[in-house]
Amino acid sequence: MTILATEGLTKRFPRVTALDRLTVSAGTGVTGLVGANGAGKSTLIKIFLGLLPPTEGTATVLGLSPATQALEIRRAVGYMPEHDCLPPDMSATEFTVHMAQMSGLPRSTARERAADTLRHVGLYEERYRPIGGYSTGMKQRVKLAQALVHDPSLVFLDEPTNGLDPQGRDEMLALIRRIGTEFGISVVVTSHLLGELERVCDHVIVIDGGRLLRSSAIGEFTQATQSITVEVEEGQEPLAERLTSAGQRVTVAGRLLMVEAGSPATFDAVRDAVCDLDLNLVRLEQGRHRIEDVFREEVSNV
Amino acid sequence: MSEPLPATGPKAAPTGVIHDIGYRHYEGPRLGRGHALAALTLHSLRGVFGLGRAARGKIMPFLLAGAMMLPAVVSIAIMALVKQQAIPYAGYTVTMQAVLAVFLAAQSPYLVAPDLRFRVLPLYLSRPTTTADYVVAKLSAMAIALFLLMAVPLTVLYLGELLVDLPGPPHTHDYIAAMVISIVYAVLLSAVGVALASFTPRRGLGVAAVIAVYLLTSAISGVLVGVLSSVSRDSAATWAWLINPFFLVDAVQVWIFGTRPNNDGGYPPGVGGPVAALAVLVIIALGVTALVLRYRKAASS
Repeated sequence: MTILATEGLTKRFPRVTALDRLTVSAGTGVTGLVGANGAGKSTLIKIFLGLLPPTEGTATVLGLSPATQALEIRRAVGYMPEHDCLPPDMSATEFTVHMAQMSGLPRSTARERAADTLRHVGLYEERYRPIGGYSTGMKQRVKLAQALVHDPSLVFLDEPTNGLDPQGRDEMLALIRRIGTEFGISVVVTSHLLGELERVCDHVIVIDGGRLLRSSAIGEFTQATQSITVEVEEGQEPLAERLTSAGQRVTVAGRLLMVEAGSPATFDAVRDAVCDLDLNLVRLEQGRHRIEDVFREEVSNV
Repeated sequence: MSEPLPATGPKAAPTGVIHDIGYRHYEGPRLGRGHALAALTLHSLRGVFGLGRAARGKIMPFLLAGAMMLPAVVSIAIMALVKQQAIPYAGYTVTMQAVLAVFLAAQSPYLVAPDLRFRVLPLYLSRPTTTADYVVAKLSAMAIALFLLMAVPLTVLYLGELLVDLPGPPHTHDYIAAMVISIVYAVLLSAVGVALASFTPRRGLGVAAVIAVYLLTSAISGVLVGVLSSVSRDSAATWAWLINPFFLVDAVQVWIFGTRPNNDGGYPPGVGGPVAALAVLVIIALGVTALVLRYRKAASS
């Protein structure tokens, strides 16, 4: 099912062309919208919400047109902006209840859902304190909560990991994955950090300078390079030799060994080799080429 | 509001235990724009009086609301003692104009500035709320607050008069006239105050702008009246009164309800009343137009 689509979408500002004849579509699940700063991601979201009129072309969201049915769209979607958008003198609870009411929920239901949603995004006792005293991570959670509180069928998350430390980033990404799978809400998430999206997205759209660079399922980005990353405490050379002699194709990347995985038997081979050599295995994971690499290749080809 | 809410699981659960019941979808009703408009108006009205804000935010509005009540209380005491009306209904607002102006200046920026400064506006506009809804809600909140500020003391005064039972019939006509004119005051003042405040995301600047406009109009009006009277241009002086927005509305009251003017020398006779009424409408229209244009611009940025 297509949740959003554009056809020859162009947005020109007096000085810059933010979107240039962009034609994309995305289905349910988590869709990553990737591009450098100024690639046109936020402009695209604003057009989908009906806040900006496109110069040319058309867009549809959930089968509705932002030009004529903006209110119906906004009733059914949630939006988490990139920038700060929280009043410091209100508590997260009050604010989320208020935003739920603004989305059309009756007051008592708004309270109930605000409490539920804040719990889901990981805010507990601190939700009664004024937002002004929150850390960046907590503020991002409140911003996410206000986008989810009215149970939309689609949320736009604009740079949700901005300003977060590595742990906060991981937690936010895990939360986004949960929203897309467990909550059953389709997600469009933007980021300029390509690497982090591959962990949560089903589908990635790469735009650059307002133009579509690539749009495909996450598997297509990475399927060409199925490999296993192996890390052992010591003795990666004997392990590499052993695996090579066992017929595996191995490359050494610093402390890591990358083993090309032709079949599940490769995992067994690695396990047996490590056991036989009596090594301490630190990590054994499915390695993938980062989306960055794909992106870089595509850019150099253009 | 005090009935138990059976579905709020976490609150009803035994201490310290949070059960993860997973994500639940919302199947209930989704109300329309009118509901959101009412919610935003109520939220803003509470904010004007500092409810739901820190104690610091409540001091100013309640101090000023208290100040508005004082003449009513004193007047009732005087009526009880000497059996004579102390303050006419028609003159209450004009007498207390400085308090209303300070209230408008202090509280208008609270309504609009934080949403601009902390960029909450995009959250409203990404919901089924249009810029027009936003403007209407903010204006209504301020107008209702100002109306309460005038109507409550007037009503207390009227109830006092009925209880004291002055000789002669009660001044019901004057009371009703004053209540109706309070609505005009409320709409005019809120249109000017909120429009001025909406142009800056900084609250201090908004307060200064609103109070400056009030002081400027009342000073220009006062100086002109003084100068024109001293050179015996009395009819010109009656026009000069209308520069002050409070006397402008008073002139409308005199024209419509035939009350006694609350200035020295009265208002221009004949076309004076209709002109004043027209001026009130034009100022309100200008304020609303400025607000709509301002937010249309803010929405697209």
